[in-house]
Amino acid sequence: MKTATREPVATTTPTTPRSHIPWFGNPWRKPRILEAITWVYLAWSVLPVTIAVLFSFNQGRSRSSWQGFSLTWWWEDPYESLFRNPLLRPAIFQSFRLAILTTLIAVPIGTAFAIGLDRWRGRPATAANFSVLMAFVVPEIILGLALFLSFEHLLTFIPLGTVAQVIGLVTWQIAYAVIIVRARLLTIGREYEEAAMDLGASPTKSIRRVLLPLLTPAMFASAAIVFADSIDDFVTVRYLSAASDTEPLSVKIYNAARASPTPAVNAAATFMLISTFTIITLGFIAYRVLTRGQRRESAVKEFVSLEV
Amino acid sequence: MSEPEEGTTTPSRREARRVRRASAKQRGAWYPRWFWPSFATPAIVWQILFFAASFYVILAIAFGTQDFFRNPLPVFQPWWWDFSTFTDQLGRIFGGVYQDVYLRTFGYVLTASLTCLLIGYPIAYFVARYGGRRKGLFLALLIMPFWISYLMRMYAWQSLLERDGYVNDVLTFLQVFQEPFGWLEGHGITVVIGLVYGYMPYLILPLYGQLDRIDQSQLEAGRDLGASPARTFWRVTLPLSKPGILAGLIIITLPMFGDYYTNALLSQSPRTTMIGNLIDLTYVTPGLAAQGASLVLTIVVILIVPMLWYLRYTARAAEAK
Amino acid sequence: MPEPREHLLRRRGPTSELSRRRFLRASASTAIALPSLSAVLAACSKPGTEAPEGATAPAGTTGPYPLARTDNPVTLPIHDDIQPIEDNLPVETGATLKIYNWADYMWKKVINDFCEEFNCDYEWTTFNNMSEAIQKMSTGQVADVFFPTVDQLGKLTYGKLLQPLNLSYIPNLAANMWPQYQNPFYDQEARYTVPYTTYTTGVAYRRDVIPDEEAEAQGYDLIWNPQYSGKVGIYDDARESLAMAMRRAGVDDVNTTDEATIQAAKDDLVELIDLVNVRTTINGVYVKLPDGVYDVHQSWSGDIIGAQWYLSDLNTPGETDILGYWYPPDNVGVVGNDVISIPANAEHPVLAHAFLNFMMDETHAFDNFTWNGYQPPLTSMNPEKLIEAEMGAYAPNKGPGTVPPSVPRAVVTEEMFDKGMWLLELAPEDELKWQTAWEEFQAGAGA
Repeated sequence: MKTATREPVATTTPTTPRSHIPWFGNPWRKPRILEAITWVYLAWSVLPVTIAVLFSFNQGRSRSSWQGFSLTWWWEDPYESLFRNPLLRPAIFQSFRLAILTTLIAVPIGTAFAIGLDRWRGRPATAANFSVLMAFVVPEIILGLALFLSFEHLLTFIPLGTVAQVIGLVTWQIAYAVIIVRARLLTIGREYEEAAMDLGASPTKSIRRVLLPLLTPAMFASAAIVFADSIDDFVTVRYLSAASDTEPLSVKIYNAARASPTPAVNAAATFMLISTFTIITLGFIAYRVLTRGQRRESAVKEFVSLEV
Repeated sequence: MSEPEEGTTTPSRREARRVRRASAKQRGAWYPRWFWPSFATPAIVWQILFFAASFYVILAIAFGTQDFFRNPLPVFQPWWWDFSTFTDQLGRIFGGVYQDVYLRTFGYVLTASLTCLLIGYPIAYFVARYGGRRKGLFLALLIMPFWISYLMRMYAWQSLLERDGYVNDVLTFLQVFQEPFGWLEGHGITVVIGLVYGYMPYLILPLYGQLDRIDQSQLEAGRDLGASPARTFWRVTLPLSKPGILAGLIIITLPMFGDYYTNALLSQSPRTTMIGNLIDLTYVTPGLAAQGASLVLTIVVILIVPMLWYLRYTARAAEAK
Repeated sequence: MPEPREHLLRRRGPTSELSRRRFLRASASTAIALPSLSAVLAACSKPGTEAPEGATAPAGTTGPYPLARTDNPVTLPIHDDIQPIEDNLPVETGATLKIYNWADYMWKKVINDFCEEFNCDYEWTTFNNMSEAIQKMSTGQVADVFFPTVDQLGKLTYGKLLQPLNLSYIPNLAANMWPQYQNPFYDQEARYTVPYTTYTTGVAYRRDVIPDEEAEAQGYDLIWNPQYSGKVGIYDDARESLAMAMRRAGVDDVNTTDEATIQAAKDDLVELIDLVNVRTTINGVYVKLPDGVYDVHQSWSGDIIGAQWYLSDLNTPGETDILGYWYPPDNVGVVGNDVISIPANAEHPVLAHAFLNFMMDETHAFDNFTWNGYQPPLTSMNPEKLIEAEMGAYAPNKGPGTVPPSVPRAVVTEEMFDKGMWLLELAPEDELKWQTAWEEFQAGAGA
């Protein structure tokens, strides 16, 4: 085997004098090593999760050895399965409650702020923009603890639990809406509105009839991202939770992973994963449909550039 | 962020605005002065109420006092601030019992970030330059981990790394180890692997964005001038991608400094305690709020420079668009 | 037939374990200082709203109320405005009993049985730790029965959050429970509490790795034995872990306020980091020891009993043989118990009294024990019965008792409690010494 592979190399060497390794000599050729790294990485990034998903269908209690397919941990087990466990079920609702409320609050506030910021550019707006972005990049544990202490000692009229959790999430999730809507505002410019006003529309009317429809795709995109991100959130909501019935699925997963993990936890995590992907896909499709006929770039790419 | 520019361009901008307003007034429609500010107001109020105020509470508690039961009594008047708890904490960090934790955290974060870069760069480079028609597919695969919760991904590793888990199966099969390795038995390497796995996607995307923006013709120019591929990469591609590298590194190191769950799920040993774990301990242990606030302040001090840099970077990138 | 065991296995919800009271204790036992007393006493605002003057309590005092010790029993105060209920009231019918408890610290079947008998419904609300519970109760959380820990009783009673019991409704206390619980040191005359569960703190080990004789010979040194390096765990609980180090060193006062003693215990724990690469866990005993992740782990007696439900192969007969539990043979060790109380604002106090009585009924207490793993202090529960008797709806196989025969020492006896040491409330400044030592250990420092 060894000699067989070595021989052809030896004979081809003289024909490529610039380099001993043929593919290195031609930069426009396919970089096989890079491609291999990429695929190995992609496999590495997806495989563990895939295995975790598979094990939610394990028949036995193990998360590391396969004992046969079943829906035990999803539905069949009357006590421990995801949808019938009296502790997990409310946690699912809490996850959705938090994500929906956060989206409903963060996206309008963020969108309005992006519009205001784009058109006003006053000092308070710039400062608030700085604050929005700061809240976004500061490690979550810091913001979480700060908010927790604040609700305990300053804003004591806000109870820990759902209200505090939503406030905590919105504080930094606004950033998504601001970034995405602002980017969109930059690309559409002011011409449409001004045209509308030339035709006699009032400011409010021109916003409602012209600007908002133009911003709808961006709002959809940010809503999808905010929803997906809040439903997965763990640090903020854990610090701001009250009784155990205000803990969403993510916190239950953390707790269980530290205490007694069973495939029902895999099922819970899988369920969150499915929810997130569904929302993201819907958001993506909506975005594509709404921006149809506009700049034809790869929609995925655009979605990504919005992301970071 | 955009203030420097604002300073220099204000006159012309103001001029333009005046002209526009004048013409608009002639047409009979213009926005009242309060119109646009009113859009920004909710977010501004929100940020003051919840972001700025929260950090003020952190200060008030870190520099405040405690009651008999060691509940924090925040002091909101700066002239009454008492820095003793805070300096105590600093004493524990510099040369004290926390020093190792801080050094360890820096070590883990640095190792993990650089590993991310070493692995992530070639991938971002490949997708940006050679993705071709499959770019969309690659990107979709690359952002996928974004939408899988971090916890789930750590949780997945937890079972893979068990003594009888698949990782050991593979490694012993390949004869890398003679017998299964106790990955979860409190090793720094496991925590670093967890961090690399967890944060890699956040590095690759900004890096990709930067590399994708590099004009192909610049590379061709380099080659036309006779530079070898390696040299072209070194002299053209790498410098051009530097902002992306920095941005990517910052976006992953910031959360890593506050990470406690990776350690909690993959190690649980005092040997691998990170700063985030100390902060979390002050959250779960009553009576330690002042300490927690002090620890938060130290992290903010450590991270403020990279955070500001990052904010400036993104602001500039937005302007460039 | 593996049926009954499968059934047992199901009893524990995947998330339940973390929110289990045992874990909660991890955050609660260090939690004595939690809610500002002033807040509780005044039953009003949160601490931050008060002026900083409150910070000037003199150092060295034990606080506004006496701290209970086994040699210093306390009688909790009865306030004029909160009196026990009258005798011979009829039980409220068609009511909804509001239970405020740790998550998963009671078998739902037992509550169902109760509600069937008394024709009621129930509402189950959980808390994560004592501080949260007290905070909520002082701001209006309504409940009929409440499950506090012993170290919080001062705060709860001086804060007027509990109502005194009328023991005429609770004959089972006198009839069924250990004599010492007729007049416990933490609540003389049983004014406010009845006992719920008891436990001891010992060392769990795998008998397939460590024979009983060897474990017997080593005792606490099992944890400090480099032979088991990488497979040693202790509870993620400041008081329990430090107290274990103290007991190993022969310290008699596990509520010590002596800085040097606490530091010495911390140094012993720090030694574990390099000696055995110790890890701190909450599930080490009942999940990871059966899984083989740990060979040795500090253990509550209830946890090692619960561990049988986590053995990976439930169908192999005699598999519980691998579980071992060591508790000091002279019965001098760390013990503890939890209690049930009735909040001052209970809407159905008579029903609540009936519930307390019900939980001390032999059958129901036993049912609950077979599910919970933590033993109620009934005089009828002796080792023979628990290990061999065929009793309790949840007993595995109805055959061998609830307690695996390999861990006879996990059965809690009256003698253990006569000689045992409780981890009790400390004055806040002393609590700080323990917490600081624990933090230093967690930081891996000082070695």
